Amino acid sequence: MLRVFLMVLMLFISVPAMADPPKRIVSLAPQITEILYALDLGDNIVGVTTFCDYPPEAREKPKIGGMSNPSLEAVVSLEPDIVVMTTDGNPKEFQARLETLQIKHYVFTARRISELPDAIRDVGAALGVKERADEFAGELQRTLNGFRDKKTVAPLRVLFIVWPEPLVVAGPGTAVDDAIELLGHENIAAGARLNYPKYSLEEVLRQAPDAILIGGMGQEDMKKVSVGLLDRLKNTSAVREGRVYYMGDGLFRLGPRVVDGIEEMADVLDEACK
Amino acid sequence: MSSDKKKHDFILELDNVSFSYERELNLIEDLKLGIGEADFTGLLGANGSGKSTILKLLAGILKPAGGSVSLWGKPMTSLRHRDRAKLLSYLPQVLDMRVPFGVGELASMGLYPYGTPPELTVAEALGMVGLSEKRDTLITNLSGGERRRAYIAMTLLQGAGILLLDEPLANLDIKFQVELIRLLRELNSTRKISIVMALHDVNIAFQFDNIILIKEGRVIGTGTPENVLNEELLKKAFDIEVSVHRLEEGSFITY
Amino acid sequence: MKTRVFILITAVAGIFGFALLAGPRPINPFAMSGLDREILLFVRLPRLVVAALMGGGLGASGAVLQGVLRNPLADPYILGLSSGAALGAAAGIVLGVSFFGALTVPLLAFAGAIGTGLLVGLMGWRRGGIWPERLLLAGIGVGFMLSAVLMLFLSVSSNEGLRRAILWIFGDLGMSDWKLIPYGALLIGLGLAIAQRRAKALNTLMLGDDLSHSLGFSPRKETALLFVSVGLMTAASVALGGMIGFIGLLMPHIMRFFVGTDNRILLPASALGGGALLVVADLIGRTVMSPTELPAGMVTALLGAPYFLYLLRRRDVIG
Repeated sequence: MLRVFLMVLMLFISVPAMADPPKRIVSLAPQITEILYALDLGDNIVGVTTFCDYPPEAREKPKIGGMSNPSLEAVVSLEPDIVVMTTDGNPKEFQARLETLQIKHYVFTARRISELPDAIRDVGAALGVKERADEFAGELQRTLNGFRDKKTVAPLRVLFIVWPEPLVVAGPGTAVDDAIELLGHENIAAGARLNYPKYSLEEVLRQAPDAILIGGMGQEDMKKVSVGLLDRLKNTSAVREGRVYYMGDGLFRLGPRVVDGIEEMADVLDEACK
Repeated sequence: MSSDKKKHDFILELDNVSFSYERELNLIEDLKLGIGEADFTGLLGANGSGKSTILKLLAGILKPAGGSVSLWGKPMTSLRHRDRAKLLSYLPQVLDMRVPFGVGELASMGLYPYGTPPELTVAEALGMVGLSEKRDTLITNLSGGERRRAYIAMTLLQGAGILLLDEPLANLDIKFQVELIRLLRELNSTRKISIVMALHDVNIAFQFDNIILIKEGRVIGTGTPENVLNEELLKKAFDIEVSVHRLEEGSFITY
Repeated sequence: MKTRVFILITAVAGIFGFALLAGPRPINPFAMSGLDREILLFVRLPRLVVAALMGGGLGASGAVLQGVLRNPLADPYILGLSSGAALGAAAGIVLGVSFFGALTVPLLAFAGAIGTGLLVGLMGWRRGGIWPERLLLAGIGVGFMLSAVLMLFLSVSSNEGLRRAILWIFGDLGMSDWKLIPYGALLIGLGLAIAQRRAKALNTLMLGDDLSHSLGFSPRKETALLFVSVGLMTAASVALGGMIGFIGLLMPHIMRFFVGTDNRILLPASALGGGALLVVADLIGRTVMSPTELPAGMVTALLGAPYFLYLLRRRDVIG
């Protein structure tokens, strides 16, 4: 009886202790890992996914599996103080398993660029680094506002290609779409009903984008696999007049580097306007 | 028996044939057997005596390990499949009953070996087996006896002089058995088709012109039913005591 | 029977014409703009031809295979050719093969499928020919093995291209262009011609090897030849646009209800029916959620399965 009482007491005592940053954090997504590093929590991370490759030192951390298939056993064996996961990529079932095992976890829900600053404030508060998070989020907000205020004079109709064959593009509700809008341009796939729709080639020809962006890691590889598609689109003004640009994957991760992605997009679209 | 003269008359012949299925001891060794023109022959033996195997060797489906099979005096292996099909038909014991061909469709497969159809038409062949009314019925909807007759119509169109049947009477009612024997007898006498039928029922064997009695892959007796179907040989073939009763109306056995 | 064949051919021709002009943005053939013409000739027409070839190849090879294996559940993909195609494409991508440009993935897929076909054929070969039961089991075994290797690739590689290769294998007609069509037409045409020439032999094989032999065929050799025809048609169809379910398995059954069992009519009917179904499915796939495209393979099953079940039920009531 006394032991039970003490255990219950311990539970209450441990709550205010969370005001200090947890010592053992497991991150279940690459953008989470990047956010944690940005909040100076890098040293406290004890486990990451196989996809967490930024910053470079994140690759040295113990791996707990992929994003869609993290290993519960690996996570548990790391004895984390908290697991940070996301609704965009981690299975819901995994959260349920963590709950039954009474492993403390935080779920990151932001999917849009506009939600990112507040989401960082929230995760910072939950991890006991509120001040650093507020500061970082404020900076991020100012940068984003800067992009918006620098609105372009000549809006372009843009298509952002995620993969050429089959043709998958960035549709509404994605960070890419947000970035295009933030920069004052128009995403021709904004009317699709999916985030990353398999898009009709016929529609691309009809809507005739002014600029085509092809995103993804490994630009050389993307160039190779895009040859066929660009040949099919050779009569669009974007291809004919050479407004096809290869970009990095900054906008595919809703983390601190989303700013770099927007920057990169702003640069190529500025060039396209000339 | 003047064996020299007989041998000359054989149109289908196994000469010193040996055969065994994979990884088994020789089932058949040095088998000699001949079928003459317009014969009505029963291949009689117990289950597992090798009747089906002998029939498949005669049909050219199984290739002998030793010895030779000849058809009209030519080695079976020298004949093209299509030419052989014009001389020899074979019907297995189990006929497919799942594939929904029409009766006429099935029968007309007998014409496949020919570029230009021979004299018999599908309608005539179906008439001969009594299935004129069922030309468009699917074989999946026929009774066992009707299905057997539809396949016989196919072999009639095939126009071969030799018809090998493996246990065609199995699983048929007595009525269908009698009808089928009558049909085959009629084809044998009117169209001079040599019929060779594997069977295990001794009482039916009495109705044949010629009996080849088989035991463990060897011929233990050959000749007319009166000569072959005696108590001594039947005990040897079937391993059971039987009594043969010979009456004017026909013969039968009891056990 | 002649009227039925005539109805079938007319219906298929009508479907092709309609699918070419209809869509989220219909094209009036008498008043085409330059853009319309480009879309018609370089987007819709190649797409329609690819769908017709794939569907035709699958329908016919399904009919052949069900006859050869004497199994109504046989599907061209059961021989493991599609797994081979997926693995071929994936392996090429992981190894960084790209010397055929835009044709790389289809060529790798075709090579994988044909390689698998040879392996399965070799395993099914015994004593001078191919045995249906051995072929079926070899196909299933090899297919499982190749899928497992593919899963292994997927588990250990973080190559993004690999995932996309898999996506591609699951069927995409949206990027069809004229480049592949001559090869696809040649291979599928060749396969269909072989099968059609051996249709009589296939009829007899359905009755069993012994009867086939009695009717003047060599069942082992005919099975081998028909397997080559199935291999050509299936491999070419997978290489053209990935895997499309349903058609190979059920179109032959639908056509059996319609034109009967005789393979001389059933094979071309299954080819026509399969081609038409895939063309319609693709039309629906590119229309209902435009500009998002739905995978045609899913639409074929959604369209075809209820019709098949209806036929099945009706036949049971009559029979």
